Amino acid sequence: MKTTIQELDGKMIAMLEGSLDTAAAAETEEAMRPLNDVEGKDIIIDCTLLEYISSAGLRIFLGILQNAQEKGGHVYIKGINEKVREVFSITGFCNIFEFIS
Amino acid sequence: MGIIHRIRRSLSVRVSLWVVLFAAGIFVAALSFLFYQSREAIRQEAINRATQILDKTSLRVEGILNRVEVASNMTRWLVEQHTDNPGTMFVLSRDMMLNNPDFYNCSIAFEPYHFPEEGLYFSAYTKHEGDSIRTIQGGSDSYKYFYMDWYLMATLSNKPCWTEPYIDYDAPTGTYEMVTSYCQALKDGDGQIIGVINTSLSLNWLSNTISDAKPYPNSYSIMTGRGGTFFVHPDSTKLTCQSIFTQSLEHPDTAAIALGHAMQRGEEGMKRMDVNGKYCYVFYKPLGKTGCSMAIVCPESDIFSGFNRVRHAVTSIVCAGLLLMLYIFIRVITRELSPLHQLAEEAEHIASGQFDAKLPDFKRIDEIGQLSNSFADMQQSLVRYIEELKDTTAQKASIDRDIRIASAIQMGMLPDKFPTRADRDDVQLYASLTPAKDVGGDLFDFYFRDEKLFFCIGDVSGKGVPASLFMAVTRAVFRTVSVQESMPHNIVMTMNRTMAGMNKIHMFVTLFVGVLDLPTGHLHYCNAGHDAPLLVGDGIGQLPCDTNIPVGFMPSWKYTPQEAQINTGTTIFLFTDGLTEAMNREKAQFEMSRVNEVAARALAEKQQEPRQLIDRMTDAVHQFVGDAEQSDDLTMMAVQYIRPKSDVLMRERISLTNDVSETRRLNAFVEGICARLQLDNIFTARMKVSVEEAVVNVMKYAYPAGQRGEIEIEAAANATRLRFTITDSGKPFDPTIQQQADTTRPARERAIGGLGIHIIRQNMDSMNYERADGRNILTLRKTLPPLTANKVKKLKG
Repeated sequence: MKTTIQELDGKMIAMLEGSLDTAAAAETEEAMRPLNDVEGKDIIIDCTLLEYISSAGLRIFLGILQNAQEKGGHVYIKGINEKVREVFSITGFCNIFEFIS
Repeated sequence: MGIIHRIRRSLSVRVSLWVVLFAAGIFVAALSFLFYQSREAIRQEAINRATQILDKTSLRVEGILNRVEVASNMTRWLVEQHTDNPGTMFVLSRDMMLNNPDFYNCSIAFEPYHFPEEGLYFSAYTKHEGDSIRTIQGGSDSYKYFYMDWYLMATLSNKPCWTEPYIDYDAPTGTYEMVTSYCQALKDGDGQIIGVINTSLSLNWLSNTISDAKPYPNSYSIMTGRGGTFFVHPDSTKLTCQSIFTQSLEHPDTAAIALGHAMQRGEEGMKRMDVNGKYCYVFYKPLGKTGCSMAIVCPESDIFSGFNRVRHAVTSIVCAGLLLMLYIFIRVITRELSPLHQLAEEAEHIASGQFDAKLPDFKRIDEIGQLSNSFADMQQSLVRYIEELKDTTAQKASIDRDIRIASAIQMGMLPDKFPTRADRDDVQLYASLTPAKDVGGDLFDFYFRDEKLFFCIGDVSGKGVPASLFMAVTRAVFRTVSVQESMPHNIVMTMNRTMAGMNKIHMFVTLFVGVLDLPTGHLHYCNAGHDAPLLVGDGIGQLPCDTNIPVGFMPSWKYTPQEAQINTGTTIFLFTDGLTEAMNREKAQFEMSRVNEVAARALAEKQQEPRQLIDRMTDAVHQFVGDAEQSDDLTMMAVQYIRPKSDVLMRERISLTNDVSETRRLNAFVEGICARLQLDNIFTARMKVSVEEAVVNVMKYAYPAGQRGEIEIEAAANATRLRFTITDSGKPFDPTIQQQADTTRPARERAIGGLGIHIIRQNMDSMNYERADGRNILTLRKTLPPLTANKVKKLKG
């Protein structure tokens, strides 16, 4: 599991690559922590290379979203594959996240 | 018919009739007595009067007859002084008639040649001729007097006597006259009979004299001679030729004969008899020594004519009076009772439903006034009661409607779709509930969760609406609790606590809760005071049950868990006491023995499938109960377990420790399984995430933090299904009863957690938890996609 965070055009972009299972969750959560400190910037989580996600991964996404919403920011999810989208849709996460391509 | 009907209908006519009838009775009695007395008095008076007249007449007749005799005797004496001088005879004869103008004639007749100078005949005969007196010599060849009766009677009997009436022929005038004569012989100094002196009385004259004696207008007198010959009779044809017996020769009449004999014997008296068809009183009396008898015949109608007139008048007046009285009574009573008629009409109005009909005010203080007032009171009460009754009826109808709806709701609560063989190959189930009233207190319920059948049967104390409400609560609580709890004793305990908390009226429910693990046939159950179910399979037997206590009143009770292994084909038969206590007309109960019999027979005939068993039991109960009223709710439920055939094609295992990093191995294991089954990426991803979530859950909750534990995962597949079994030996932990995550809430409100179970449920067909042999066994099942589809997808990929 590989996590990269970079800032582009005033937006925080997190690139996730690999399989976000329970085993990888703790590590990924740590890597994503900088996003919690972002003030007034939108966050884009790029899932183009994310192959798999379990509920542990969803929990990280939810944490980021709740944090951003408290600060008035937006969280966009970009380019999820079919398998990951299915997990989002089963859990109703597709209703609370904004998706961009 | 019409009159009788009118009398029966009209009180006034009836009362008047009674009064008038009573009065008529009194009148009849009084008048009868009066009439009888009057009649007797009149009769007595008639007798007196007639007797008086009779006496007077008889005295008069006797006087006349005496006069005849005296005159005859005197003349005889004179004649006997001058027996030698014929001329003197004419003088004596003439003197007699001069002195007695009412005599008819007088003859002084002598023996032939008594006066030789006079020849054969000499009779000085004197008779009235108008106002003058004619005296002639009466004997001649044409009238040989010495052959006459009167002459012969006097000479032969040698003593004076009265002749029977005879017709006297008066030669000079050529007239006939009916006469009776007094004749006596004349004798000379030697006592030799020398002639006869004969003095006649005209019977006509005598009759007239006697007939004057008429006490009543139509009465008449008769006089008979010695032989009963009529001397005097109003019918002059009867004189001399008929006697009093003549008529009775033709028509025997004892009364007439008796009268005749009595008169002949010279008796005095009175007789009532039929004369020529009319009733008459006949008063009779002898006339001195003449041997004659006189009778006065008085027709009864004459005697009582005045009386009858009075009687008729009085009767008519009384009748008219009674009729008038009847009329007046009817009018008066009708007028007095007319308010009643009005009241009756108003009552009819009221009876026909017009309760607001105005009652007339009679302003009377008598009984009718009281009746009218009472009637008005009654009307008001009636109106009030009817209103109340309407309300009550409406309320009752409303309640009835509510009850029917409640019944429908209650029945709607019970499951009515039972799995068929096409639906499930592992269990068959059927149930029936027949409430004794519209709504009942029995309940049953079942549903499938994961690979388990949750079922219960219960019986609320009591019947009717209260029981039905409690039943509804019980069923709702069962559903709520059993969603979060898989062990029956825990379900029952939670239900008990919940329901005891809200049970203020001390109702309770006996309950049997079972959870049948369908893959294994393992039954967990808990009994709360309910009848032990029957097992129908390898023989008949009761499922061993701890009684515990019914649910709902002792929140602290610890219900004991029980378990049993159900063999394939065995039917669990559950029932309420409405079955064993079903009563027939003789109040005999169906009893457990009959339940066993029916079950045994069903088993013997291999008819122990739930529907067959319950139908048989229902028939048996109906037959037993007959037409007796159902006394209690009757509920039956049967569950037949059929173990699925095991045809595992593939089986693999992996063992993990309770470390989340082990999920990598796990995912690789699952991917490998899916690959072997040639499943596509999406399917594989679903399996992967589901198994990972399940195992991570166990890792997190089954073992306390820091405690090392083993988790074993077995994957098995047959032609249609893929199964993952996750087994651990940690503390009992049932992930299936976790609160479900709400996936519809906004991010801010969403809890972190619970998502894993949700993901599993969404991806897998079933998630089933079992605690057995101190291990948690979680089974996930998924139907494999059809092989053809699988291949097509694979070709595409």
